Amino acid sequence: MTLVEKILAKKAGKKAVRPDQIVEVSVDRAMIHDALGAHTIARFRELGVKKVWDPAKIVVVLDHYVPNKDIDTAKKCLNIKKFVLEQGIEDYYEVGKGGIAHQVLVEKGHVLPGTILVAVDSHTTTSGVMGAFATGIGVDEMAVVFKTGKLWERVPGTIRINVEGKLKPPIMSKDLMLLILKRLGVSGALFKSLQYTGLTVSQMSIESRMVLTNMAIESGATNGIIEPDQKTLDFLKTRTNQPFEVIQSDPNAEYAETLEFQADDIKQPMVAVPSKPSNAVGVTEVEGTKIDQAFIGSCTNGRLEDLRMAARILKGRKVDRFTKVIVIPASQEVLKAALAEGLIAIFVEAGAVIGPPTCGPCMEAHMGILGPGEVCISTANRNFQGRVGDVTAKIYLASPATVAASALKGKISDPREFF
Amino acid sequence: MELKGRVWKFGKDVDTDELFAGRFMMGGDETSRSQYQEFIAKSGLSDVGHRDNVPGDFLKKVVKGDIIVAEENFGIGSSRQQAAETLKFKGVQAVVADSIHRIFFRNFWNLGCPAIDLPGISVAFETGHEIAINLRGGTIKNLTTGREFEFSLIIPSWFIDMVEAGGLIPYHQSIQNVKSKSKSAR
Repeated sequence: MTLVEKILAKKAGKKAVRPDQIVEVSVDRAMIHDALGAHTIARFRELGVKKVWDPAKIVVVLDHYVPNKDIDTAKKCLNIKKFVLEQGIEDYYEVGKGGIAHQVLVEKGHVLPGTILVAVDSHTTTSGVMGAFATGIGVDEMAVVFKTGKLWERVPGTIRINVEGKLKPPIMSKDLMLLILKRLGVSGALFKSLQYTGLTVSQMSIESRMVLTNMAIESGATNGIIEPDQKTLDFLKTRTNQPFEVIQSDPNAEYAETLEFQADDIKQPMVAVPSKPSNAVGVTEVEGTKIDQAFIGSCTNGRLEDLRMAARILKGRKVDRFTKVIVIPASQEVLKAALAEGLIAIFVEAGAVIGPPTCGPCMEAHMGILGPGEVCISTANRNFQGRVGDVTAKIYLASPATVAASALKGKISDPREFF
Repeated sequence: MELKGRVWKFGKDVDTDELFAGRFMMGGDETSRSQYQEFIAKSGLSDVGHRDNVPGDFLKKVVKGDIIVAEENFGIGSSRQQAAETLKFKGVQAVVADSIHRIFFRNFWNLGCPAIDLPGISVAFETGHEIAINLRGGTIKNLTTGREFEFSLIIPSWFIDMVEAGGLIPYHQSIQNVKSKSKSAR
């Protein structure tokens, strides 16, 4: 069996499972955030039970609409806080304590290899970086998980994405992922799992790997996953003292498909043009496209190495005077490290605005909303029409290096020029 | 269980941001079912007219019991249940598509509305056709053209019971009631 099949078999109490089998599994972690948390709680209350199945397995993170932008968002967060207190949930991250949920789940050691995480968010796939089965569900379903601790799942067949060779900076894992999505398309992995393997992946930092698992959902995949290795174990060592079992694919595991990629073949940074994450082209094809906003952040690319890359390009330079440049660290921990390294000072000197560690303008939520016809280049994960505001705004997806270079010129630019 | 209705033909890659825009996600009082339903029905599909995968007159003309037949990859994107709720509260009773995104698939069923993925089905339907779906029998019939298709769904065994109960929450409420009744009987 593949890694995912083994996790699902174990959690279903079965010896073996096969792709497309329906199983019922026990959940190890369930996360809600402010965007759908109050909604989950309202449905849970309709189920006629007083207590959640296990408050120690629930994580609550406020990240989409905080600090609250209006009375509606404040009211929903109050409901969530009340629930957390009433249920005795310890793992609660108020604004200023955590950051973007997917980052917090991994960096606080809430996701262990071989476990199952569900959350009311499609980018829950990010946590597959720890060798866990991590996937998104809706609020009614989460209400039932809160009651029972159980989830049904259709066992996804595994598509193996094998990457060999070396990514040559400033080409980043984001460029690789945009290329993978170009090959798969936005529905190429429906009800399948993406498992990333190969030398390029094993040589990547945990941060770079998280880009791959994060955007697995953009291919329609149920989840994205990477086998735990020494890097994973070292990462977890300082973050949790909980025991866990490392599960790996069987040597004779059957894959639905294996797609081979050569990192050396990626000659130039990639940009996904509107309005699909699978619309990747080389940056030189869209170079010179005028932009109104440049966003560096999100659960895809708001981590320390992303900020380091952007700072390397922005250091000692000024961003275009008419371009709104927004930098948002993915978590308090990332912000703290970026401050200590002087990265935040570089961004401020360059003329970027720093946002609090939240989702920011990845979606039309809280800030950085786009007006009619505006163009944004973003390190986030989706560029659907209307994703970040007006339906006529246009979103280009790229790496932190490409977004930083574009911020300098006020138009889509090749980061190799500044690197 | 048979569902009958009038067809609305949608294109491919209908995404959740399109079905329900982020700007409305924090609106509505989710503790009041009726107020919430009204809010979602009013706010969903706010940008229709700018997209080529949803018929421009859908919002004006959709009526209770209509059924969407869509091309591939329906419901791509976010886990926001409001996307599925939008269609339900506009009156759509089922979605049939060449393929359906996992989270939307689950969300729509959980609301008591079948989502049926059958590769190639979309070419057999146009807006205005009449469709009949036999859920337990696994057949879809185009009543206008007379063509019939078979499907088999990969779903839990209790899923159609859940639809008959009105969705996931009512289904769990009914299980709870059965349990407490059998307890008190003892």
